Amino acid sequence: MSVDRRTFLKGAAVASVAAVAPAGIVAGSAARSTPAWHRTACTFCGVGCSLLVAVQDGRAVAAKGDTDSPVNRGLGCVKGYHAIQTLYGRDRITRPLVRRNGVLVETDLDTAWDAIAARLRETVARHGADAAGLYGSGQWSVVDAYIAAKLFKAGIGTNNIDTSVRLRHAAAATALASTYGLDGAPGCHEDIEHADVFVLWSHNMAETDPVLFSRLLERRRTHAGVRIIDVGTRTTRTSYAADRSLQYAPLAEIPLANAICHELVRRRAHNASFVARHVAFARATASAGDDDISGETSHPVDWAEYVRFLEQWSPDRVAALTGVAAEDIRWLASLYGDRTRRVLTTWDSELNRHHRGAWANNVLHNIHLLTGKVSSPGNGAFCCTGQPNGADSLHAAGASPDGLPGGSAHAAVDRGRAARVWGVAEERISTRRGRTATGLFRGIIDGSIRFLWVQAANPLVNLAGADRYQAALRSQDIFLVVTDAYPTATTAMADVVLPAALWLEREGVYGSSERRSQYVPRLVQAPGSARPDGWHTIEVARRAGYGELFPWNEAMYVTEAWREMERFESGLPGMAQLRAGSGILSPANGAEGTSWRFNPAHDAAADRRRGDFDFYGNADHRARIWLRPHEPPPESPDARFPLWLSTGAVLEHAGTGTLTRRIPVLQRAAPHAWVELNESDARDLGVRNGERVRVSTRRGAIDVQARIDHRTQPPVGQIFVPAFDEAVPIQRLMPDVVCPLSGQPASGKCAARVERIV
Amino acid sequence: MRVRIIVLGTLGAAALWLLLLGLDRALVYRLAANAATVDAEAEEPAGAAIRRRTLVPIPSEALVFRTTPAGVANDAHAPRSDKAHPRTLATFRGLRAYPGAPPRVPHGLTAEEFRTTTCNTCHERGGWSSRFAAYVPLTPHPEWASCLQCHAIDAPLMGSALPGVGADAVCAQCHAPASGRVALPAIDWLPMDWPRVRSRAHDGMPPEIPHHLQLRGNCLACHMGPGAVAELRTTHPERANCRQCHLAADEFSFSTAVSVAEGWLP
Repeated sequence: MSVDRRTFLKGAAVASVAAVAPAGIVAGSAARSTPAWHRTACTFCGVGCSLLVAVQDGRAVAAKGDTDSPVNRGLGCVKGYHAIQTLYGRDRITRPLVRRNGVLVETDLDTAWDAIAARLRETVARHGADAAGLYGSGQWSVVDAYIAAKLFKAGIGTNNIDTSVRLRHAAAATALASTYGLDGAPGCHEDIEHADVFVLWSHNMAETDPVLFSRLLERRRTHAGVRIIDVGTRTTRTSYAADRSLQYAPLAEIPLANAICHELVRRRAHNASFVARHVAFARATASAGDDDISGETSHPVDWAEYVRFLEQWSPDRVAALTGVAAEDIRWLASLYGDRTRRVLTTWDSELNRHHRGAWANNVLHNIHLLTGKVSSPGNGAFCCTGQPNGADSLHAAGASPDGLPGGSAHAAVDRGRAARVWGVAEERISTRRGRTATGLFRGIIDGSIRFLWVQAANPLVNLAGADRYQAALRSQDIFLVVTDAYPTATTAMADVVLPAALWLEREGVYGSSERRSQYVPRLVQAPGSARPDGWHTIEVARRAGYGELFPWNEAMYVTEAWREMERFESGLPGMAQLRAGSGILSPANGAEGTSWRFNPAHDAAADRRRGDFDFYGNADHRARIWLRPHEPPPESPDARFPLWLSTGAVLEHAGTGTLTRRIPVLQRAAPHAWVELNESDARDLGVRNGERVRVSTRRGAIDVQARIDHRTQPPVGQIFVPAFDEAVPIQRLMPDVVCPLSGQPASGKCAARVERIV
Repeated sequence: MRVRIIVLGTLGAAALWLLLLGLDRALVYRLAANAATVDAEAEEPAGAAIRRRTLVPIPSEALVFRTTPAGVANDAHAPRSDKAHPRTLATFRGLRAYPGAPPRVPHGLTAEEFRTTTCNTCHERGGWSSRFAAYVPLTPHPEWASCLQCHAIDAPLMGSALPGVGADAVCAQCHAPASGRVALPAIDWLPMDWPRVRSRAHDGMPPEIPHHLQLRGNCLACHMGPGAVAELRTTHPERANCRQCHLAADEFSFSTAVSVAEGWLP
């Protein structure tokens, strides 16, 4: 009906304008065609805004939010509005570059592809398949990810493929898998329009997920009694917008969440009926590891043992550990336990980058499982991914060290299915766990990785200890291929640089933090020889002898690859469905996606006979509450390094700023990184606002401008440095420690020192 | 000739009324973000957001009436006193990357303002600002309070309070950037042409609306009073029902014609 009305009105408007203006068309500028508006999705972050982009004479010339989109409802953010400008930087890489006599020189695509393929063949022949690796991106199209995974798993025969998602979201995905058995978020963004209380844990949502934050503010503005609670380690723009802001000590999430659970149980505010029907409890024995992911062995425990475990986490004891007053912990518990209020907890990579990131995620899910406030409108614990690809879309693509499309490389049934779909022998698919992000780069140092392809990522800026990797690349015979659109610290070290087509220049499908897949059409020509990451992969694969895996032409390969991915039955929507609108939440059952997983009212896969929820991801159909202890941080402030250093994102930039630093308005707003200090610390150090200071950690030092009580206010004893500036690669100074369960680098916080530069 | 205009005018008005009648209230709220139309008690059924995808966005005309001459601190007809900070089409365009882009913030914010985003204190009702020696431009959408989400700051100006200045102040007195100039990236950028006012039928016809109305359906916020760009001020702000006479130009008509492109260019 609405479509009819639209059609009628458009017709009426055109007819009346045509009639009123018989000959009075005002001449526009003769040289330019009329702009045409196209729908696409913004691919900067994990929110998944739908944008309308105006294209005129083959160039993007304007943009606005798509009012049809259920995600952004016509809004954008400062990055999305200006994303079209990323296409037009003058330093765009438009031709392939190869290193000759130590210098990168321009060449043609065939020469570059041939060189890469020859080296790939030679590496595999001389050192074996596991000497090759690929480091991809959360900014990838899902199709790019699938093609890379297919080349490495079905062609080369190694699982050495990982992505920058490891740096942001791996802890969340690991915890979702251990809690629910599936690694996508149970809930969705629409929870915002139903929640009564928002608890943001170390989540500066006003800057990291700005469009969602506007939806939060709108919910509060239009509904009496809605409250936003900020629980974090520093005062941010989000704190100021919140109704209440509580601060806790860095990396103290686990005791704080356990204390909330303690209090819920003590006052019998937990949902005993939900727990009895839908929850099982588990304790784990874990082996520590720093080079790869360690497994853990799960031991079932009962309610009584969980209650005994919680006894040690009384608010009074935890108050001393976390710095949050016991009465505030009790107040938080009262919000969570109030049966009349729906509660949405959110967080993002700032919390995930924790030495026990997966545990920190588990305990947040625990609160919601204890109160039964999960996967129903307005109730849930939700981690924002920060990148379009979360674990679930990469899982569908198979682009992980353990994965196959929609399955696991360690499961015979999944290997069998992959072998059938791909038309290869099952033995071709390796059962050996591949390298994670850090593992791939550590392999450069010990020589176990000889060929490394980096796509749409800048790891030499945002991996801890990247100076060691740089040194190894310089001194050892490692072949590094980088596909990117602009020069970065990583392209500078490459043997071959391939020019990447950007958003709008290439067709693709992108995910979002709420499992939404969105189709992104190709609207303009890529400059010069730039091609999509996936197409570069296919061209190299053909030249390296894996051509039979990719019998597709350049015009149709996205559609063909997607059709093949659908054969893995991982709940992906069809291409026609994707093209028709602003995306669908996986698993796509029928015309509509799945908004609330495990909830039979919203999820076709959930069994109604099991009651109001069916946690079918786990064999026993029960979600897990994990008994997670507190583990002191690997590094805390001491006499030499007396401050807590936090790193994180700011509104204006994405990742290491490879794209956003090409946008004038964003560069003007945040031209370079800074260190934020508390006024009292600055006074003690004799540091003035705007002065350049030296920030040191145990791993090195960096000079940066001091900001006192600026955009955010760290508490006394803490500093904050944003991570977008290549000239201030603060992540390189973080400890090279990973969460042993998820492999996510614990690069969020460490001990540091600030000195005046004399 | 006169008969023809009347007939066409009637047709146009009828089309507009149909538009209005066809809107359901929740949709007006969602799409035009107008709090006045929301029933706060009405609970949205779960899943509605996804089904809404198929509906057509039509900016509510209610926004036209949001800002009225009586509701702002500016005298709608006050002469400008803008020697310190003249607001012209050139400055207006200079703050926007393309027509319709959110303008960046051209002035400093105190650290407190920067953190708390209290922009609406001044920009919702306007008035004379002695701090900037200028009339304050109004925002057409004060209900969206997370202003810096879309409006980029100017780093060299941040943290400067810009003390009160007299009408004779010159920019250089206040705008000496504390942290130096920002080296901007070089891009080859060619935005959409800036819209031009036109009257298609005849010289006397009220000009069409030459821009999109998304987030800008509140006409008087930008077109009224001394805070408005000089060239864009209306002479008749008291005639509050703007869209009675000013139709949207066809390329900016109520819904944007969106084509979902095929994956490959011909």
